[in-house]
Amino acid sequence: MTELLFPTTVEEAVALLAAHEDARPIAGGATLVAMRNAGLVESTHLVSLDRIAGLAGIVRLEDGRIRIGAMTKHAETASCEMLSGSLEVLRKAAGMIANRVVRNMGTMGGSVANADPAADYLPALACCDAVLTIAGPGGTREVSILDYVEDWYETALGEGEIITAFTLPAPYAAASSYRKIARVSGDFATASCAMALEADGQGVRVAIGACGPGPIRDPEAEAALCGHLGDPEAVATFAKALADQADPVDDVRGSAEYRLQLIPRLISGVLNDISKETV
Amino acid sequence: MKIAGEFEIDAPRAEVWEKVRDPQVMVQCIPGCEGIEQIDATTYRSQVSVKVGPIKATFNLKVEVVSEEAPHTVLSRTSGEEGTRASVVSSENVLRLAETPEGGTLVSYEADVSMTGRLGKFGLGIFRKKADQLAGVFVENFRAKLGVSA
Repeated sequence: MTELLFPTTVEEAVALLAAHEDARPIAGGATLVAMRNAGLVESTHLVSLDRIAGLAGIVRLEDGRIRIGAMTKHAETASCEMLSGSLEVLRKAAGMIANRVVRNMGTMGGSVANADPAADYLPALACCDAVLTIAGPGGTREVSILDYVEDWYETALGEGEIITAFTLPAPYAAASSYRKIARVSGDFATASCAMALEADGQGVRVAIGACGPGPIRDPEAEAALCGHLGDPEAVATFAKALADQADPVDDVRGSAEYRLQLIPRLISGVLNDISKETV
Repeated sequence: MKIAGEFEIDAPRAEVWEKVRDPQVMVQCIPGCEGIEQIDATTYRSQVSVKVGPIKATFNLKVEVVSEEAPHTVLSRTSGEEGTRASVVSSENVLRLAETPEGGTLVSYEADVSMTGRLGKFGLGIFRKKADQLAGVFVENFRAKLGVSA
């Protein structure tokens, strides 16, 4: 028997998670409810984050940065006009998650907390240099998305901690894109790629998803590619650098070998998207 | 699902063999192992807990040594279940110890694991990664037990 608790503040939620040994936070429930139904997870207490004021919604901060509340549903992110230009990649990724039912249910905080390597947000957030705000028994702290995933399904989130928000740098006018290869529309990615053009139009930030425990980014390789986006050889070298850091699984969606083959294809694909938008 | 790997230990094979065949050493080296009980000359019982993301599982395992050739090969069979839950795991395992030219030991292992029930639903791909990770922890623990560094 599971007890469902409804705190109304972050502090109360954190206190409830600390008070019950086997408590677990529940956001939209898109994944957690399915996992419970499959008997994969169980807990004596579920702490719902649904009634905490201020956890949902997207706002532009005074300095231009964008702040997305952890309880913001995928559907809202997918249609948010503030996520334009360099941040459009995140909007596109949100719109490719599963199907409309899930997008009206699932939240960014829930998805990122679950840290499924094949989910869409992780590479998109990595390419945007997002920063997570995490609240817990020790107070509030910020963690870069690039330091967030520590291993397969293991994250920087400690015992009793919850994600409260994502902060993105101010968007600028430049193309960005997200592509995923999936067995059918709405499936988790077999492999995915998020890319945003730098403000100077010479370089890109690229993150690969579903090819390791967390999104793969390589700032050094990005620097080497800067100014050579139109050079197929430089792009191939860049793709190889990312593929060399990949550690994909063999699973029903594809073999590890197949996933490695997808990386250069995805990179060419998103580069193509970006050059079309830039012209 | 086949899991295989190898690692080198800077210790003579006879010593490694002795430790590998000592349940009290193994219980301290196997990550998540909560106890090993010897049932008879070739059978052991053990409880091992594994955590993959949000999923925690505790298996009650029976390990049977099918054959062994001291000091280099052990063939064993593991079968077990997850308490009252429906997950059932079984595996056929081979462990080999080879002497290296430097006087150390090369430990290699292979296991053919099958898993059904609730954990089978989660996908074996991720379990293989988890197995590799746990193997790494085991090697560290084992090296520490033998007092040798990597």
